[in-house]
Amino acid sequence: MGLLSLVTFIPVFGALIVLLIPRQNEKAVKIVSAVITFIPFVLATYMWGQFNYTMSGINNEAQFQFVQHFKWIPAYNIEYFIGVDGLSFPMVWLTTLLSFLAIIASWNINKAVKGYFALFLLLETGMLGVFVSLDFFLFYIFWEVMLLPMYFLIGIWGGPRREYAAIKFFLYTLLGSVLMLIVMLALYFNVKDPVTGGHTFNMLLMMDQSNHSGWLLGVDVRLWLYILLFIGFAIKVPIFPFHTWLPDAHVEAPTAISVILAGILLKMGTYGLFRLSYPIFPDVAVKTAYMLAVLGVINILYGAFVAMAQKDLKKMVAYSSVSHMGFVLLGMSTFTDAGMNGALFQMFSHGMITAMLFLLVGVIYDRAHHREIDGFGGLAVKMPIFAGVATLAFFAALGLPGMTGFIAEVMVFIGTFSVYRTLTILAVLGIIVTASYILWTVQRVFLGKLNPKYENISEISGRELFTLVPLGILVILFGIYPIPILNLFRASMTHLINLIP
Amino acid sequence: MNSIIPYLIVGAIVFVLGIFTIVYKKNAVGILMGVELVLNSVNINFIAFAKFVDTGIHGQIISIFVIILAAAEAAIALAIILNIYRMKATVDVTQLNKMKH
Amino acid sequence: MTASEILKMMPLIIVLATPLITMLIIALHRNHLTTMIVSVIGLVLAIIAIPYSKALDLTKIGELLIIDNYALFYFLLIFTATIAIIIPSYPYLEMRFKGNREEYYLLILTATLGSSVLAASTHFVSFFLGLEILSVSLYALISYLRQTNEGIEAGLKYLILAAVSSAFLVFGMALIYSQTGKMEFNALMQFFSNSSKLNLISIVGLVLMIVGFGFKLAVVPFHTWSPDVYEGAPAPVSAFIASVSKGGILALLFRFFSQYDVLNSKPLFLIFALLAVFSMFGGNFLALLQTNVKRLLAYSSIAHFGYILVAFLAGNNAQNFKGVEAATFYIVSYFITIIGAFIVVGIFSTREREAMSVSDYRGLYWRHPWLSVAFSAMLFSLAGIPLTAGFIGKYYVLASGIDNQLWTLVIILIVNSALGVYYYLRIVVEMFSQPEEAAETKHPSPSVGVMTGLILAVLTIALIWLGVYPTGVIGAIKISVMGL
Repeated sequence: MGLLSLVTFIPVFGALIVLLIPRQNEKAVKIVSAVITFIPFVLATYMWGQFNYTMSGINNEAQFQFVQHFKWIPAYNIEYFIGVDGLSFPMVWLTTLLSFLAIIASWNINKAVKGYFALFLLLETGMLGVFVSLDFFLFYIFWEVMLLPMYFLIGIWGGPRREYAAIKFFLYTLLGSVLMLIVMLALYFNVKDPVTGGHTFNMLLMMDQSNHSGWLLGVDVRLWLYILLFIGFAIKVPIFPFHTWLPDAHVEAPTAISVILAGILLKMGTYGLFRLSYPIFPDVAVKTAYMLAVLGVINILYGAFVAMAQKDLKKMVAYSSVSHMGFVLLGMSTFTDAGMNGALFQMFSHGMITAMLFLLVGVIYDRAHHREIDGFGGLAVKMPIFAGVATLAFFAALGLPGMTGFIAEVMVFIGTFSVYRTLTILAVLGIIVTASYILWTVQRVFLGKLNPKYENISEISGRELFTLVPLGILVILFGIYPIPILNLFRASMTHLINLIP
Repeated sequence: MNSIIPYLIVGAIVFVLGIFTIVYKKNAVGILMGVELVLNSVNINFIAFAKFVDTGIHGQIISIFVIILAAAEAAIALAIILNIYRMKATVDVTQLNKMKH
Repeated sequence: MTASEILKMMPLIIVLATPLITMLIIALHRNHLTTMIVSVIGLVLAIIAIPYSKALDLTKIGELLIIDNYALFYFLLIFTATIAIIIPSYPYLEMRFKGNREEYYLLILTATLGSSVLAASTHFVSFFLGLEILSVSLYALISYLRQTNEGIEAGLKYLILAAVSSAFLVFGMALIYSQTGKMEFNALMQFFSNSSKLNLISIVGLVLMIVGFGFKLAVVPFHTWSPDVYEGAPAPVSAFIASVSKGGILALLFRFFSQYDVLNSKPLFLIFALLAVFSMFGGNFLALLQTNVKRLLAYSSIAHFGYILVAFLAGNNAQNFKGVEAATFYIVSYFITIIGAFIVVGIFSTREREAMSVSDYRGLYWRHPWLSVAFSAMLFSLAGIPLTAGFIGKYYVLASGIDNQLWTLVIILIVNSALGVYYYLRIVVEMFSQPEEAAETKHPSPSVGVMTGLILAVLTIALIWLGVYPTGVIGAIKISVMGL
């Protein structure tokens, strides 16, 4: 079995092991889950060592790494085809890291423990599967596999309005999947495998325009398919009019699930745009690039302003995600070297920063049992370490130099400025709004006079610190020296830009 | 009689009467009789066609099966109707409304 | 009849002999458990006979029956499904019925025989016989719990409507016979393929036959009996109606039209397409309004047969059987899920009533995690969520539809699948929501027998297996529809 398959499927086997552990033995369930999520992380790190930075992937099977390719359901030419390139590998690595940390952060789950950890492990396989699949059908399956555990994790272990939030999340995502299914089938029946002459789900063959049949070459059709696929991914990102599921889902989800939701799941939308929409419909992508940039700026500004208005700390962080994902959209709409790499770097960096923010919110919620921003005050006095880590995370989110957020945003702006001047200026305004709501929040929560209610609040625990510190270190490390990450992207992004006419 | 028409006319009349009975009767036994009428009209048709269209005896054979079926159906139906009568002291199908849509 | 013909028919003969032997055993020694075990043994023997039958070369048995791979495939499906229904029936009857429980198995076995005869029939006579063996057994089965109002009512409703539909069906046969002088399917279809001979009377005959088919399959507008019957019948019998009974009729429908190009025949295509569209919308919309699980499954079943009709329409194009393949796969997955779902409903029934209201399932997860997981898997498969058999089935149907450019039908199907997800999910949501403490005692708290639990586990695993690795079954289906 190939290394990549191992990384992808270890969690689901772990889920089976977890299910076999007796119900009373909650400690064992947690430890086994932690060990199981740690193995893919180690393997992924090893793969990073083996990773060949010059191989670009995108639409060339020979340029993919750790490829596994064989028939799965021959009746419909469905293949088990996985592999990674510079686009997907950083996401795979991030997923394994965040999954491990999220398991540690789930230590205080005490309701139906077995079910929680088994579903979580299933979710991890789903996420990794989405990032590694190179067959559209396989991609779709993993995409849906992710959906169900997520639904249950929010719906069972969530907050007071969990059922509403879970079903909203489910219906939105399902709508996206249905649209994706239509596009998938349309592509399947219009793309021919040049070797066998049969239809195919192979993404790489779909990217070769010469394999498309006459029906699919019409511009109208391509535009429609692009839009359908785009909406499917836009719901996940989420892009402005489709974002309303996100705050509900985040507020109700348990901490670790929010981390995964914001850290990984949101990235899948933009990953899908990079992986599928761009290379399969490059002509349409160019035509609609300006719209995408506008949507990106709307996301940035709308997310920032709404975040500023929030009273609930978690909702504020959720909307800040909407805002930050806007930078990814803006960057990727430019088709410039800096913009595209910046967008990808923002995906990576935001995955870590937002994970930290949600973990911090979880820490404070476990102690105070509420999340009202105005209900705290002066916590820095009683929780100096916590306040320090939190400030670091918040500063990373607002893009302070020396941290990854800054590098990403600067790259995006360099990319966009030459292409869309006005939009760039508007987006920079978004940065100012972001800075103001983050500083304002830090001030209200940590500074000022200590709220007497929290006289006896306890400092952050070692376990909680353990989930935060690695991310904090990485945010600073890659903020100062981003080359290892950027090297991962470079070949693939250059290749992708060359594909765009 | 060497024309198929009279048979068909009788068959059609019996069929229509049967359908009419099924639709208008409220009594379960009455409905059952309507069903029997329809089945018998089918028999008339089959036998007529066997004589005039087919050279074989398929028509006659299937009509024997239809007769057997009608008997079996009546037996079970009457058993069910008896049970209904025992339980509700009526065989009016409009009274069978325990289940709502 | 030669010896090899008898060998070829062995599965059918065993299924015929089982109720007779069972009857004798009941006469000698009336015991519920023995009866159940003998019936299961009979069905297992019939399944064992299938490969031997397959090995024999001849297919046609006289004029009436054909035992080809297609028929054998359906035999296997029907027999297995019946076993899966019979075993959970035992605890169900023990709990809910005080009278003689043994005859239930006789009736189930005869109904199974009827359904398998349908799958093997090539002639109006065997068609009619099979159908009536099936229906007459079902009348009695539906009202088997004769102390309940609902059971008796449902029995009478089914009886009247099924009898009327049979009458229509035979009348249609008579009309067709009048035009062709033939009763064998292939001969008929050769006759009709010459479109100049497709006159008004034959079309009326075909339409009357389709009305008959429609009633049995419960497609809109011939569906009115199905919710009442599903609700009133004992849960295992509802499972039987939804799976074995409808499966046999579908098998026959596919065979009946296998030599006929439905796709390019204007009137027939229109009729079936309308039936499919009405069933999909009607079934799903009515299911949305339901709070009764059994009625919900009934309406959803209507919708599912709408999907199958879409595949059926795509199936006959120029002898390209992709559609029938898809429909057959869909039936396999539907069998697994609907039987599983009704087993769960049966498990939750108490002496007085069945657990039909959606609220009966509230918080099920916290009381019976495994049971609720199995039930969720069934519901997800019905909804067509990936990694379940239902998804592959739906995908298969969609693909066959797109292959034949039935765009309107395909889009309607996709819209309806999305509708469907909503009401299946509602039940799942109920199961996983936290129960109120006060209501805790009110809910039935059933115990799952070992055998029932085993069957449910096997069904759930089969469901996921088919969703992950359907190749084996697809291959078997391909082979079976080849000779059609």
